Amino acid sequence: MIDVALASLIEDMIEKAGADGVVEFWQRVGDNLASRMGKEAYLGWTSFNVAVREGRTAFSIEGEVTPLTDMAVTDVDGDVVGYLYAMRQCCYVPTIFRTRFAVGRMSPADRAVTSEYNENVHNIAVCNFCVFHERFREEIAKNVTVSGNSLACYLLATRGWSGEAKISPKNVAQVNINEDHVRALLRNYECVYALVMRGARIKGDR
Amino acid sequence: MAESRIPESNPFVEIATHLFLEDIAAKVGVSGLNNYLVSLARNLANSMPKEEYGTWPEFLSALTTGQSILSTFEEVRPVTEHCMSTLRSPFERGWHEYAKRVGAFAPVHREVAQYYNHKVRPTAVTSVHVVLHTFREAAAARVRVGDRVVRYEPVATTWVDGEVQLPEDAKLEPLLKRAGISRTKLGMLLRNHSDVWLIESA
Repeated sequence: MIDVALASLIEDMIEKAGADGVVEFWQRVGDNLASRMGKEAYLGWTSFNVAVREGRTAFSIEGEVTPLTDMAVTDVDGDVVGYLYAMRQCCYVPTIFRTRFAVGRMSPADRAVTSEYNENVHNIAVCNFCVFHERFREEIAKNVTVSGNSLACYLLATRGWSGEAKISPKNVAQVNINEDHVRALLRNYECVYALVMRGARIKGDR
Repeated sequence: MAESRIPESNPFVEIATHLFLEDIAAKVGVSGLNNYLVSLARNLANSMPKEEYGTWPEFLSALTTGQSILSTFEEVRPVTEHCMSTLRSPFERGWHEYAKRVGAFAPVHREVAQYYNHKVRPTAVTSVHVVLHTFREAAAARVRVGDRVVRYEPVATTWVDGEVQLPEDAKLEPLLKRAGISRTKLGMLLRNHSDVWLIESA
C-alpha cells in the first residue's frame, strides 16, 4: 500500500516545496539508492548481458529487463561499446492501476511532477517515477564496469500507461540509433535505454 | 488474497518510497517523518470513497471479500465479530526486496516507530506500521454500519522478522476482552499472522 500512498506524499511535498522541489527530491533519492547498490564488474558484454537476463545486476531491481542483443552500439572502429535494454512494463504502471482500483483516480500530483520534469529537465517522463528512475539508472551505470570500463546510461524512450510515447532525440543521437528503430521497440516495450562504455567514441558521434 | 484483487505492485516502487522517507527523515528528523507518515495515511484514506452497510454481517462480508476500503491492501480474516487478523503484511514484499537488493533497513524506520509508540500508541515495529495503523483508523471512520461509525484499534503487530509489538498488559487486557479473544488465542494468531486488530461500532 505504500506505493499507493506515495501519491499522497507527493501531493503533500508539492504543497511544501513545489513541483520543482519534488523533482530535486526524487533525483536525490535516485542518487542515494544508487549509492547503496554497490559496485559490479563483468569480463565483457556477454557476461553482463547474461547477468541482466538472470536478474543479477543492479539494474534488475527495477524488474525484468531484456538485453536487446540485436541492437548493439558500436564505436568508430566498429567495436561493440554498448547495447539497448528494455522493460516490457514500466515499474510504475502497476501502482497506477492499483491507485485506480483503490482510490478511484490518479492524483494530479503525478502529472504536475511529470510536467515540471519534462519542461525543465528532460522531456522523457511519462509519470513522476521516471524522474527518480532516470537519475537512478544514470548513477548505477557509473558503478558497473564491463571489460574495465564504467558505463553510461541514456534513457531513449518511454511509453506511459495511457499510450503516450516519448523519445529523447538528444539521447537517441548520442548512441547513434535510428529513431524509427526505437519507436518500433515501443510497440513491445514501455521503457528503452542504452548502456554504453563511458568515453567511447560512438560511430557518427557529433 | 486481497492484494491479488488489485494488481501486485512492482517492489522497486516500494523500495524507492522507503528511500524517499529516509531522505525526508534526514531533513525533518524522526518527529517530522512521523508527521509525514500520519498525514499521508490520512490523505490516502480520505481520498477513498465512504461506505455504508446495513448490518454488521454485511460489513464483515465486504471485509473478507476485499470489497471494503479496509481490505483494499490486505487480506482480512475475522477471528470473532470484532477481532480481525491479517495474514501477510502488505509491506512484506517490499521489505524482502529491500533486504535483498539494498541491504539492511535504515535505522530511521525503527526510530520513527519508537517515536510513534511513545507518542501515539505502542503498536508499531517499523515506519510502515505508522502508515498502516493511521490508514486503518482513518478508513474505519469513513465506514458506517447502520447509523454508527466504525472504530479501529490495533491489538498486536508482528514484523517480517518475528518481532512483536503489543500494548502494555493494563491496556492489552481490555482490548482482548472487546475483541473477544484470550491471550492464548492471541499468541496462536501471532505465530503466523502479521496483525491482529479490533473493529467495532463507535
